[in-house]
Amino acid sequence: MESKLMHVFPEKCTACRNCEQACAFAHLHEGRPTRARIRADADPQQREGKNVLVVCYQCDAAACVAACPANALWRDMKTGAVYHVESRCIRCSSCVAACPFGNMRWEPLRQWPSKCDLCGGDPVCTRFCPTGAIQYK
Amino acid sequence: MIRLTIDGKRVEARNGEFLLALARREGIEIPTLCHHEAVEPAGACRLCMVEVTKAQWNGFSKLVTACLYPAEEGLVVRTDTERVMKTRREVLELLLARSPRAEAVRRLARQHGITVPKYNVDEEGDNCILCDICTRVCSTLVTGAIARVNRGVAKKVATPFDEASDVCVGCLSCARSCPTEAIAFLDDGLKRTIWGKTFDVVACSVCGAPTVTKEHPLWMAQRKGVVEEDFHVCDACKVGKTGQACRKVMW
Ligand code: SF4
Ligand code: SF4
Ligand code: SF4
Ligand code: FES
Repeated sequence: MESKLMHVFPEKCTACRNCEQACAFAHLHEGRPTRARIRADADPQQREGKNVLVVCYQCDAAACVAACPANALWRDMKTGAVYHVESRCIRCSSCVAACPFGNMRWEPLRQWPSKCDLCGGDPVCTRFCPTGAIQYK
Repeated sequence: MIRLTIDGKRVEARNGEFLLALARREGIEIPTLCHHEAVEPAGACRLCMVEVTKAQWNGFSKLVTACLYPAEEGLVVRTDTERVMKTRREVLELLLARSPRAEAVRRLARQHGITVPKYNVDEEGDNCILCDICTRVCSTLVTGAIARVNRGVAKKVATPFDEASDVCVGCLSCARSCPTEAIAFLDDGLKRTIWGKTFDVVACSVCGAPTVTKEHPLWMAQRKGVVEEDFHVCDACKVGKTGQACRKVMW
Protein backbone atom coordinates (compact mmCIF):
# COMPACT_ATOMS: atom_id res chain seq x y z
CA MET A 1 0.00 0.00 0.00
CA GLU A 2 1.22 3.50 -0.77
CA SER A 3 1.91 5.62 2.26
CA LYS A 4 0.30 8.73 0.78
CA LEU A 5 -2.62 10.29 2.61
CA MET A 6 -5.17 12.96 1.87
CA HIS A 7 -4.37 16.00 4.03
CA VAL A 8 -7.11 18.54 4.63
CA PHE A 9 -6.45 22.08 5.91
CA PRO A 10 -9.83 23.77 6.44
CA GLU A 11 -8.11 26.95 7.62
CA LYS A 12 -6.70 27.42 4.11
CA CYS A 13 -10.02 26.78 2.37
CA THR A 14 -11.70 29.83 0.83
CA ALA A 15 -14.78 27.81 -0.22
CA CYS A 16 -14.08 28.61 -3.88
CA ARG A 17 -15.40 25.14 -4.72
CA ASN A 18 -12.80 24.42 -7.38
CA CYS A 19 -12.35 21.00 -5.80
CA GLU A 20 -16.07 20.26 -6.11
CA GLN A 21 -16.07 21.26 -9.77
CA ALA A 22 -12.98 19.18 -10.47
CA CYS A 23 -14.45 16.17 -8.72
CA ALA A 24 -17.78 16.39 -10.53
CA PHE A 25 -16.04 16.76 -13.88
CA ALA A 26 -13.60 13.93 -13.24
CA HIS A 27 -16.26 11.45 -12.18
CA LEU A 28 -19.39 12.51 -14.03
CA HIS A 29 -18.09 14.68 -16.87
CA GLU A 30 -20.40 17.34 -15.64
CA GLY A 31 -19.59 20.44 -13.61
CA ARG A 32 -22.39 20.03 -11.14
CA PRO A 33 -20.71 20.73 -7.79
CA THR A 34 -23.63 19.32 -5.82
CA ARG A 35 -22.69 15.93 -7.21
CA ALA A 36 -19.07 16.13 -6.09
CA ARG A 37 -17.72 13.73 -3.51
CA ILE A 38 -15.94 16.47 -1.60
CA ARG A 39 -17.64 19.36 0.19
CA ALA A 40 -16.28 22.89 0.56
CA ASP A 41 -18.92 24.98 2.26
CA ALA A 42 -18.56 28.54 3.44
CA ASP A 43 -18.80 28.97 7.19
CA PRO A 44 -22.43 29.95 7.81
CA GLN A 45 -21.31 32.46 10.44
CA GLN A 46 -18.87 34.10 8.02
CA ARG A 47 -15.95 33.84 10.39
CA GLU A 48 -12.92 34.46 8.28
CA GLY A 49 -11.06 31.42 7.05
CA LYS A 50 -13.18 28.89 8.85
CA ASN A 51 -14.84 26.86 6.17
CA VAL A 52 -16.11 23.32 6.09
CA LEU A 53 -13.92 21.10 3.97
CA VAL A 54 -15.03 17.52 4.24
CA VAL A 55 -14.01 14.49 2.20
CA CYS A 56 -14.10 10.76 2.91
CA TYR A 57 -11.68 9.55 5.61
CA GLN A 58 -11.39 6.09 4.02
CA CYS A 59 -11.93 4.71 7.55
CA ASP A 60 -10.21 1.47 8.52
CA ALA A 61 -13.41 0.18 10.13
CA ALA A 62 -15.73 1.84 7.66
CA ALA A 63 -19.43 2.05 8.47
CA CYS A 64 -20.40 2.06 4.78
CA VAL A 65 -18.51 -1.18 4.17
CA ALA A 66 -20.08 -2.75 7.26
CA ALA A 67 -23.56 -1.68 6.17
CA CYS A 68 -23.38 -2.84 2.54
CA PRO A 69 -25.30 -6.10 2.12
CA ALA A 70 -24.05 -6.61 -1.41
CA ASN A 71 -20.30 -6.40 -0.83
CA ALA A 72 -20.16 -3.49 -3.29
CA LEU A 73 -17.64 -1.41 -1.37
CA TRP A 74 -14.08 -2.61 -1.78
CA ARG A 75 -10.72 -1.53 -0.42
CA ASP A 76 -8.19 -0.42 -3.03
CA MET A 77 -5.03 -2.05 -1.68
CA LYS A 78 -2.84 0.41 -3.59
CA THR A 79 -4.29 3.61 -2.14
CA GLY A 80 -6.20 2.36 0.88
CA ALA A 81 -9.36 4.00 -0.47
CA VAL A 82 -12.77 2.42 -0.16
CA TYR A 83 -14.29 2.42 -3.63
CA HIS A 84 -17.75 1.72 -4.93
CA VAL A 85 -18.25 -1.13 -7.39
CA GLU A 86 -21.35 0.01 -9.29
CA SER A 87 -21.97 -3.33 -10.98
CA ARG A 88 -22.40 -5.01 -7.59
CA CYS A 89 -24.55 -2.29 -6.03
CA ILE A 90 -28.26 -2.86 -5.42
CA ARG A 91 -28.81 0.82 -4.54
CA CYS A 92 -30.32 0.12 -1.14
CA SER A 93 -28.77 3.35 0.22
CA SER A 94 -27.70 1.65 3.45
CA CYS A 95 -24.16 2.98 3.07
CA VAL A 96 -25.36 6.58 2.73
CA ALA A 97 -27.41 6.22 5.86
CA ALA A 98 -24.64 4.44 7.74
CA CYS A 99 -21.70 6.82 7.17
CA PRO A 100 -21.57 8.97 10.33
CA PHE A 101 -19.74 11.78 8.48
CA GLY A 102 -21.92 12.20 5.40
CA ASN A 103 -19.14 11.20 3.03
CA MET A 104 -21.15 8.50 1.35
CA ARG A 105 -23.49 10.64 -0.71
CA TRP A 106 -26.73 9.92 -2.51
CA GLU A 107 -26.96 11.36 -6.01
CA PRO A 108 -30.60 12.33 -6.30
CA LEU A 109 -30.58 12.60 -10.08
CA ARG A 110 -29.09 9.24 -10.84
CA GLN A 111 -30.38 7.64 -7.65
CA TRP A 112 -26.98 6.13 -6.95
CA PRO A 113 -24.60 6.32 -4.02
CA SER A 114 -21.18 7.81 -4.66
CA LYS A 115 -18.03 8.32 -2.67
CA CYS A 116 -14.46 9.58 -2.92
CA ASP A 117 -12.14 6.90 -4.32
CA LEU A 118 -9.01 9.09 -4.28
CA CYS A 119 -9.28 8.93 -8.10
CA GLY A 120 -7.34 5.68 -7.94
CA GLY A 121 -4.24 7.40 -6.51
CA ASP A 122 -4.23 10.80 -8.23
CA PRO A 123 -6.96 12.91 -6.58
CA VAL A 124 -8.04 15.50 -9.15
CA CYS A 125 -9.37 17.92 -6.50
CA THR A 126 -5.92 18.46 -5.01
CA ARG A 127 -4.59 19.66 -8.36
CA PHE A 128 -7.25 22.35 -8.62
CA CYS A 129 -7.10 23.76 -5.10
CA PRO A 130 -5.46 27.20 -5.41
CA THR A 131 -4.59 27.49 -1.73
CA GLY A 132 -3.28 24.01 -0.95
CA ALA A 133 -6.14 23.25 1.43
CA ILE A 134 -6.23 19.67 0.18
CA GLN A 135 -2.99 17.89 -0.46
CA TYR A 136 -2.15 14.30 -1.24
CA LYS A 137 1.26 13.46 0.06
CA MET B 1 -5.20 -21.64 -14.75
CA ILE B 2 -7.61 -22.90 -17.38
CA ARG B 3 -6.82 -22.13 -21.01
CA LEU B 4 -9.53 -21.76 -23.62
CA THR B 5 -10.51 -19.51 -26.52
CA ILE B 6 -13.39 -17.09 -26.94
CA ASP B 7 -14.07 -15.86 -30.47
CA GLY B 8 -10.61 -17.04 -31.43
CA LYS B 9 -8.90 -15.13 -28.64
CA ARG B 10 -6.74 -17.16 -26.26
CA VAL B 11 -7.78 -16.45 -22.69
CA GLU B 12 -6.99 -17.72 -19.21
CA ALA B 13 -9.73 -18.34 -16.68
CA ARG B 14 -9.68 -18.80 -12.95
CA ASN B 15 -10.92 -22.11 -11.60
CA GLY B 16 -14.71 -22.11 -11.55
CA GLU B 17 -15.03 -18.83 -13.44
CA PHE B 18 -18.14 -18.58 -15.58
CA LEU B 19 -17.85 -17.85 -19.29
CA LEU B 20 -19.81 -14.60 -19.03
CA ALA B 21 -17.57 -13.12 -16.35
CA LEU B 22 -14.51 -14.24 -18.30
CA ALA B 23 -15.78 -12.76 -21.59
CA ARG B 24 -16.57 -9.43 -19.93
CA ARG B 25 -13.14 -9.36 -18.31
CA GLU B 26 -11.69 -9.82 -21.80
CA GLY B 27 -13.88 -7.05 -23.22
CA ILE B 28 -16.09 -9.41 -25.26
CA GLU B 29 -19.69 -8.24 -25.20
CA ILE B 30 -22.50 -10.70 -24.50
CA PRO B 31 -25.95 -9.19 -23.94
CA THR B 32 -27.75 -10.11 -20.72
CA LEU B 33 -30.85 -9.10 -18.82
CA CYS B 34 -30.88 -11.38 -15.77
CA HIS B 35 -27.26 -10.90 -14.77
CA HIS B 36 -26.41 -8.86 -11.67
CA GLU B 37 -23.02 -9.12 -10.03
CA ALA B 38 -24.46 -8.80 -6.54
CA VAL B 39 -26.21 -12.16 -6.77
CA GLU B 40 -25.55 -15.67 -8.06
CA PRO B 41 -26.35 -16.24 -11.74
CA ALA B 42 -29.74 -17.80 -12.47
CA GLY B 43 -29.88 -18.46 -16.21
CA ALA B 44 -33.31 -16.90 -16.40
CA CYS B 45 -33.26 -14.67 -19.48
CA ARG B 46 -31.47 -17.03 -21.92
CA LEU B 47 -29.91 -14.08 -23.74
CA CYS B 48 -26.32 -14.97 -22.94
CA MET B 49 -26.30 -18.13 -25.06
CA VAL B 50 -22.95 -19.00 -26.61
CA GLU B 51 -21.79 -21.98 -28.67
CA VAL B 52 -19.13 -24.24 -27.21
CA THR B 53 -17.13 -27.11 -28.60
CA LYS B 54 -13.84 -28.96 -28.05
CA ALA B 55 -11.34 -30.48 -30.45
CA GLN B 56 -12.16 -34.01 -29.17
CA TRP B 57 -15.92 -33.56 -29.60
CA ASN B 58 -15.72 -34.58 -33.30
CA GLY B 59 -17.53 -31.54 -34.61
CA PHE B 60 -20.29 -31.62 -31.99
CA SER B 61 -21.14 -28.26 -30.48
CA LYS B 62 -23.80 -27.08 -28.07
CA LEU B 63 -25.50 -23.90 -26.95
CA VAL B 64 -25.04 -23.03 -23.29
CA THR B 65 -25.82 -20.04 -21.06
CA ALA B 66 -22.54 -18.20 -20.59
CA CYS B 67 -23.59 -16.94 -17.16
CA LEU B 68 -23.84 -20.49 -15.78
CA TYR B 69 -21.22 -22.40 -17.77
CA PRO B 70 -17.84 -22.72 -16.03
CA ALA B 71 -14.68 -22.35 -18.07
CA GLU B 72 -13.09 -25.66 -19.07
CA GLU B 73 -9.62 -26.50 -20.34
CA GLY B 74 -9.51 -26.52 -24.15
CA LEU B 75 -13.03 -25.15 -24.62
CA VAL B 76 -13.69 -23.26 -27.85
CA VAL B 77 -16.33 -20.60 -27.25
CA ARG B 78 -18.02 -18.55 -29.94
CA THR B 79 -20.35 -15.69 -29.09
CA ASP B 80 -21.33 -14.71 -32.62
CA THR B 81 -22.20 -17.82 -34.69
CA GLU B 82 -25.35 -17.97 -36.79
CA ARG B 83 -26.84 -20.41 -34.25
CA VAL B 84 -26.12 -18.04 -31.36
CA MET B 85 -27.54 -15.01 -33.15
CA LYS B 86 -30.67 -16.90 -34.19
CA THR B 87 -31.32 -18.01 -30.62
CA ARG B 88 -30.64 -14.56 -29.27
CA ARG B 89 -33.05 -12.98 -31.73
CA GLU B 90 -35.68 -15.61 -30.90
CA VAL B 91 -35.37 -14.84 -27.18
CA LEU B 92 -35.68 -11.13 -27.87
CA GLU B 93 -38.76 -11.69 -30.04
CA LEU B 94 -40.39 -13.55 -27.16
CA LEU B 95 -39.39 -11.00 -24.55
CA LEU B 96 -40.59 -8.13 -26.71
CA ALA B 97 -43.93 -9.86 -27.28
CA ARG B 98 -44.31 -10.32 -23.55
CA SER B 99 -43.11 -6.89 -22.40
CA PRO B 100 -43.50 -4.51 -25.35
CA ARG B 101 -42.96 -1.39 -23.24
CA ALA B 102 -39.82 -2.46 -21.39
CA GLU B 103 -37.10 -0.05 -22.53
CA ALA B 104 -34.18 -2.43 -21.89
CA VAL B 105 -35.86 -5.12 -24.01
CA ARG B 106 -36.77 -2.70 -26.77
CA ARG B 107 -33.24 -1.37 -26.95
CA LEU B 108 -31.67 -4.82 -27.21
CA ALA B 109 -34.29 -5.91 -29.74
CA ARG B 110 -33.61 -2.83 -31.85
CA GLN B 111 -29.89 -3.54 -31.77
CA HIS B 112 -30.70 -6.96 -33.22
CA GLY B 113 -32.96 -5.56 -35.91
CA ILE B 114 -36.29 -6.38 -34.26
CA THR B 115 -38.93 -3.69 -33.89
CA VAL B 116 -42.13 -5.71 -34.21
CA PRO B 117 -41.97 -9.29 -32.91
CA LYS B 118 -43.38 -12.11 -34.98
CA TYR B 119 -45.33 -13.40 -31.99
CA ASN B 120 -48.62 -11.97 -30.76
CA VAL B 121 -47.78 -8.93 -28.72
CA ASP B 122 -49.34 -8.80 -25.28
CA GLU B 123 -50.42 -5.17 -25.32
CA GLU B 124 -51.34 -5.39 -21.64
CA GLY B 125 -48.03 -7.07 -20.86
CA ASP B 126 -46.23 -5.54 -17.90
CA ASN B 127 -42.52 -4.87 -17.88
CA CYS B 128 -41.53 -7.88 -15.79
CA ILE B 129 -39.52 -10.40 -17.79
CA LEU B 130 -39.18 -12.77 -14.80
CA CYS B 131 -35.43 -12.32 -14.73
CA ASP B 132 -35.43 -13.06 -11.01
CA ILE B 133 -33.00 -10.27 -10.12
CA CYS B 134 -35.34 -8.61 -7.61
CA THR B 135 -36.14 -11.85 -5.84
CA ARG B 136 -32.51 -12.94 -5.71
CA VAL B 137 -31.50 -9.50 -4.40
CA CYS B 138 -34.17 -9.41 -1.72
CA SER B 139 -33.87 -13.02 -0.62
CA THR B 140 -30.08 -13.18 -0.44
CA LEU B 141 -29.18 -9.60 0.49
CA VAL B 142 -32.23 -8.07 2.15
CA THR B 143 -35.13 -9.72 3.93
CA GLY B 144 -36.68 -12.18 1.49
CA ALA B 145 -39.98 -10.38 1.11
CA ILE B 146 -40.72 -11.40 -2.48
CA ALA B 147 -40.58 -14.55 -4.56
CA ARG B 148 -41.66 -15.93 -7.90
CA VAL B 149 -45.08 -17.50 -7.52
CA ASN B 150 -47.35 -19.67 -9.69
CA ARG B 151 -46.45 -21.65 -12.80
CA GLY B 152 -46.51 -21.10 -16.54
CA VAL B 153 -48.21 -18.00 -17.87
CA ALA B 154 -49.43 -17.09 -14.36
CA LYS B 155 -45.88 -16.90 -13.02
CA LYS B 156 -45.10 -13.56 -11.42
CA VAL B 157 -43.15 -11.87 -8.66
CA ALA B 158 -45.13 -11.21 -5.51
CA THR B 159 -45.18 -11.12 -1.74
CA PRO B 160 -46.77 -14.17 -0.04
CA PHE B 161 -50.48 -14.25 -0.97
CA ASP B 162 -50.08 -10.79 -2.52
CA GLU B 163 -50.47 -9.30 0.95
CA ALA B 164 -48.40 -6.50 2.44
CA SER B 165 -45.22 -8.25 3.56
CA ASP B 166 -44.31 -8.16 7.22
CA VAL B 167 -40.59 -8.41 6.47
CA CYS B 168 -40.23 -5.88 3.62
CA VAL B 169 -38.27 -2.86 4.89
CA GLY B 170 -39.04 -0.61 1.92
CA CYS B 171 -35.40 -0.23 0.86
CA LEU B 172 -36.34 -0.17 -2.86
CA SER B 173 -33.39 -2.39 -3.77
CA CYS B 174 -35.71 -4.64 -5.77
CA ALA B 175 -37.16 -1.77 -7.79
CA ARG B 176 -33.80 -0.13 -8.39
CA SER B 177 -32.14 -3.39 -9.47
CA CYS B 178 -34.89 -4.33 -11.89
CA PRO B 179 -33.49 -4.04 -15.44
CA THR B 180 -36.89 -3.16 -16.90
CA GLU B 181 -38.27 -0.84 -14.22
CA ALA B 182 -41.15 -3.22 -13.68
CA ILE B 183 -41.59 -2.66 -9.95
CA ALA B 184 -43.86 0.25 -9.16
CA PHE B 185 -43.36 2.30 -6.04
CA LEU B 186 -44.49 5.66 -4.74
CA ASP B 187 -42.37 8.01 -2.69
CA ASP B 188 -43.44 11.55 -1.90
CA GLY B 189 -40.78 12.11 0.75
CA LEU B 190 -43.20 11.45 3.60
CA LYS B 191 -44.60 8.04 2.71
CA ARG B 192 -43.24 5.28 0.57
CA THR B 193 -45.38 2.51 -0.88
CA ILE B 194 -44.05 -0.66 -2.47
CA TRP B 195 -45.56 -4.14 -2.86
CA GLY B 196 -48.77 -2.90 -1.28
CA LYS B 197 -47.14 -1.78 1.96
CA THR B 198 -46.84 1.85 3.01
CA PHE B 199 -43.90 3.05 5.08
CA ASP B 200 -43.21 6.26 6.97
CA VAL B 201 -40.10 7.95 5.62
CA VAL B 202 -37.96 9.28 8.46
CA ALA B 203 -37.26 13.01 8.16
CA CYS B 204 -33.68 14.14 8.74
CA SER B 205 -33.55 15.20 12.38
CA VAL B 206 -31.65 18.36 11.40
CA CYS B 207 -33.15 19.70 8.16
CA GLY B 208 -36.24 17.55 7.67
CA ALA B 209 -35.20 16.13 4.29
CA PRO B 210 -36.41 12.57 3.64
CA THR B 211 -33.97 9.78 4.53
CA VAL B 212 -34.93 6.09 4.70
CA THR B 213 -37.93 4.19 6.03
CA LYS B 214 -38.25 3.58 9.76
CA GLU B 215 -37.86 -0.16 9.21
CA HIS B 216 -34.66 0.08 7.15
CA PRO B 217 -32.27 1.07 9.99
CA LEU B 218 -33.87 -1.44 12.35
CA TRP B 219 -33.05 -4.19 9.89
CA MET B 220 -29.52 -2.82 9.33
CA ALA B 221 -28.89 -2.53 13.07
CA GLN B 222 -30.01 -6.13 13.54
CA ARG B 223 -28.15 -7.58 10.62
CA LYS B 224 -24.98 -5.51 10.50
CA GLY B 225 -24.76 -3.83 13.89
CA VAL B 226 -24.75 -0.39 12.28
CA VAL B 227 -25.52 2.58 14.59
CA GLU B 228 -29.22 3.29 14.14
CA GLU B 229 -28.99 7.04 14.92
CA ASP B 230 -26.68 7.64 11.96
CA PHE B 231 -29.58 6.72 9.71
CA HIS B 232 -31.71 9.59 10.93
CA VAL B 233 -29.57 12.45 9.61
CA CYS B 234 -29.29 13.07 5.86
CA ASP B 235 -25.89 13.02 4.15
CA ALA B 236 -25.75 16.81 3.67
CA CYS B 237 -26.43 17.53 7.37
CA LYS B 238 -23.91 14.91 8.41
CA VAL B 239 -21.31 16.77 6.35
CA GLY B 240 -22.29 19.95 8.20
CA LYS B 241 -21.94 18.20 11.53
CA THR B 242 -18.58 16.76 10.54
CA GLY B 243 -17.44 20.27 9.60
CA GLN B 244 -18.63 21.64 12.95
CA ALA B 245 -16.80 18.89 14.78
CA CYS B 246 -13.60 19.61 12.81
CA ARG B 247 -13.89 23.29 13.69
CA LYS B 248 -14.30 22.48 17.37
CA VAL B 249 -11.11 20.46 17.28
CA MET B 250 -9.18 23.12 15.37
CA TRP B 251 -10.35 26.32 16.94
S1 SF4 C 1 -26.32 1.35 -1.97
FE1 SF4 C 1 -24.90 -0.09 -2.99
S2 SF4 C 1 -22.89 0.32 -2.02
FE2 SF4 C 1 -24.47 1.26 -0.71
S3 SF4 C 1 -24.93 -0.31 0.84
FE3 SF4 C 1 -26.44 -0.58 -0.84
S4 SF4 C 1 -25.51 -2.11 -2.20
FE4 SF4 C 1 -23.86 -1.35 -0.86
S1 SF4 D 1 -39.77 -7.34 -11.49
FE1 SF4 D 1 -37.91 -6.75 -12.64
S2 SF4 D 1 -36.23 -7.64 -11.45
FE2 SF4 D 1 -38.10 -8.67 -10.77
S3 SF4 D 1 -38.24 -10.51 -12.06
FE3 SF4 D 1 -39.45 -8.92 -13.05
S4 SF4 D 1 -38.04 -7.97 -14.52
FE4 SF4 D 1 -36.78 -9.11 -13.07
S1 SF4 E 1 -38.25 -2.95 -0.86
FE1 SF4 E 1 -38.97 -4.76 0.25
S2 SF4 E 1 -39.22 -6.35 -1.33
FE2 SF4 E 1 -37.92 -4.72 -2.21
S3 SF4 E 1 -35.79 -5.39 -1.78
FE3 SF4 E 1 -36.40 -4.01 -0.08
S4 SF4 E 1 -37.20 -5.41 1.48
FE4 SF4 E 1 -37.15 -6.59 -0.45
S1 FES F 1 -27.55 -13.68 -18.27
FE1 FES F 1 -27.40 -15.79 -18.63
S2 FES F 1 -29.47 -16.38 -18.81
FE2 FES F 1 -29.66 -14.25 -18.34
